[in-house]
Amino acid sequence: MTHNLLLALQAAADTTSGYREFPLIGERAAVWIAAQVHLMFAAFVLGVPMFAVVAEAIGIFGGEAKYDRLAKEFTRLLLVAYSATAIWGAILVFLLATCYSKFWAYLTAVFAPSMWLYASLFFFESFTLYLYYYGWDRWHEGRAKKVHWMLGILLNVWGTTVMFIANSWLAYMTSPPRDVTPTTDPTKIKLWHATVTAIWMPINIHRLIANVVFGGAIVGAYASYRFLAAKTDEERAHYDWMGYIGNLIAISALIVLPFAGYWLGREIYEYDQSQGITMMGGFMAWLWVIQAFLIAVLFLAGNYYLWIGMGRIPGTERFRPYIKYLLIVILLGAIVWGTPHTMIADAKELAAMGGAHHPVLGALGVMSAKNTAVNFMILTTFLSFLLYRRGNKELVVPWAKTGTLLQGALFAVAAAVVLFFGIRGYFVETIVRIGFSVYQVLTVLGCILSVTVIDVLLSRGARSVGEIQWGKMPARSQYALFILAVTFTWLMGLMGFARAGIRQYWHVWEVMENTSPYAATPALGYASRLISVCVLIFLSLVGFVFWLGGLAEKSTFVPSDAKGGKHVGH
Amino acid sequence: MWVTNLKIAGIVLGTLLVYTVICNKIPQLESSVPQKLALGANATPDELVAAGEQLYNGIGNCTSCHGLGVRAPNLLTDEKGAGLIGQRCGKREAGKTCKEYLYERLDQPGKVLLPGYQPIMPVITKQLPPNQVWSLIAFLESQGGTVDVTGADIEASEKAAGATGGGAAPASAGFASGSTQPKAIIDAAGCTTCHTIDGAGGAMAPDLTHVGSRRDAASIRRKILDPSSSIAKGYESFAGVMPKDFGTKMNAAQLESLVQYLAGHK
Repeated sequence: MTHNLLLALQAAADTTSGYREFPLIGERAAVWIAAQVHLMFAAFVLGVPMFAVVAEAIGIFGGEAKYDRLAKEFTRLLLVAYSATAIWGAILVFLLATCYSKFWAYLTAVFAPSMWLYASLFFFESFTLYLYYYGWDRWHEGRAKKVHWMLGILLNVWGTTVMFIANSWLAYMTSPPRDVTPTTDPTKIKLWHATVTAIWMPINIHRLIANVVFGGAIVGAYASYRFLAAKTDEERAHYDWMGYIGNLIAISALIVLPFAGYWLGREIYEYDQSQGITMMGGFMAWLWVIQAFLIAVLFLAGNYYLWIGMGRIPGTERFRPYIKYLLIVILLGAIVWGTPHTMIADAKELAAMGGAHHPVLGALGVMSAKNTAVNFMILTTFLSFLLYRRGNKELVVPWAKTGTLLQGALFAVAAAVVLFFGIRGYFVETIVRIGFSVYQVLTVLGCILSVTVIDVLLSRGARSVGEIQWGKMPARSQYALFILAVTFTWLMGLMGFARAGIRQYWHVWEVMENTSPYAATPALGYASRLISVCVLIFLSLVGFVFWLGGLAEKSTFVPSDAKGGKHVGH
Repeated sequence: MWVTNLKIAGIVLGTLLVYTVICNKIPQLESSVPQKLALGANATPDELVAAGEQLYNGIGNCTSCHGLGVRAPNLLTDEKGAGLIGQRCGKREAGKTCKEYLYERLDQPGKVLLPGYQPIMPVITKQLPPNQVWSLIAFLESQGGTVDVTGADIEASEKAAGATGGGAAPASAGFASGSTQPKAIIDAAGCTTCHTIDGAGGAMAPDLTHVGSRRDAASIRRKILDPSSSIAKGYESFAGVMPKDFGTKMNAAQLESLVQYLAGHK
């Protein structure tokens, strides 16, 4: 009896003969694609409701009807993307159950109750979404409108809870509780114990912010497509504005995303240092150089869009001469951030370099230089946005000059603090240097916050030099939004590879080994090809569902001279 | 509109192509699955070197520190004119051959610490079986030096490990040969690689000389079974380094013996 029990326990983590080959591409690639495309759709349908609710609130409490229409249009995109999320989720589950049967059985043994809860909440989320969208025109005034807005909040609550539950499964795979061993009977692991693992909450927060970034970028790409396809000035103006809002949401959330990423990385290190070393200094070290390159593209494309956008704002001519300096700072920052340093190199490469890193440029590849560079890039992007915002305003408050000088001084102090800690970092121990990055980040955030508050106060009663001419944007600006959307999506795939790849040949870290023919974690080249395929599938499908949405809209399009002012959509 | 659609498709595909090409142009590093080595007394130097290279770049995880030249000396490059590791190993300590020196570094990494580095290297002879340890040494010797490791070295180590109950001993010998003597358990577990006890040992983890005054027996037991249950202040950066498998390696009598021994260190 005891012997049989022991055998059963040992079998808990035994994956032998637990795999089935998937035709042509293999089971790993099949699951990879299904999981990644599902996550992309999921990120979109979780991110968009967050800013749809905010936009609706601005419409209700700020009295600006155009924000209400914008919120509704966001939600329409959501509706068509929602079913795609569910379809890809089902594909993923079927692939796991058929190609990784023992692993799937293990996960279900641990998480069965939370999987049932997940399915129930998904049901509630769907019907809340339908009520939210289809009730838009019916509950459009007074108390009913506020109830409608509450439905939007409820939709976010369901969506966030669903995401937290799914995150607990993948967090368990990377950081299972230390008392779980290969012989632990999975049915005996308490659900809450398996749910609240070391990296669960950092992943939740990181994904929450990343979903907003991603949703903003996809909305921006949608708007830019509709802008390019627009037949009237009115449509063009609306989608130009929508694209601007999408870009603003994406870039604003992107600025805080690295802090959540830092927390996640720290928890990974604290849970198991070997995972951290694999991620940052092991075979994945090159991944971070690629990440730096992608983020440089995001900063450049985001700023480029803002700079071109100044062309449609009367009064921005005075700021144009400074743009070239902003560009130089961003380019220099990107070069420093992308400088390789602690890379694993073979003997030939090391000999060619004359050491483990370049004798001169190597100094720019260390954390001190990189943190300084990225903080300068963030400050510069914020300055671009500030100039854009100030473009057509003529300040009238009596302290306008003092306020502007104060803003300049805050920028200068923030830059000096960032630079000071960047240089000082070269002369202190690693553990002290890591702490410096927190000071740099807090300084930059403090600067952004205080300058924004001053700017809002400065803008009180400001005279307009001229209205923003929405729609007067060259086509190339819209292509920048496409590059942003593609890059965000690709970056999401890359970071997914980093998170899952640190487990290496384990389904569940040090508990359940992957013994399939695809157990080895592939090199970045292979991963990049799969990521590109996933991005292509996602963007093609998203393009298709948006096109479908557009077909329905055309039949109910309300012309601009209709009573009630400008209206695009239905 | 077709022109616009084509332009958008071109931008999307072009962006994807650029990212994919860049990722395929950089060095391609794969994280392989550990392979069991079947090298014994008849192994040739070439076989040992080939196996050692795989271990060094793969599951041995050596490159995570030695490949960078930041956390540990880079073994595959010239160091201050002393040459690659195969050239410099025989000159490191008078009276020690390259082979002896390298074995000692893998067996007692904390014994001699090179200036500028922290004592972070684990005891490799406790992590890898003798055939893998000697494969690594053969590979390191091949970096500019002469490979003199033979299958006989593996055989001798396997016999010695079997006799002493060391980490490289066959599993049937049991942890610390089944001894319940605290010092034998501490030796077998390699505690002093990181911890100092009674004035001897490493500085990578808290000094255990007076651990009994800081923790009671229950706390010490919990810490041994679940090293991440608490992290001592000042050692946060080394969290995760302590092995988590002592609970499965030691038997109950050994665990209790060790716990009571440490709890008695007031």
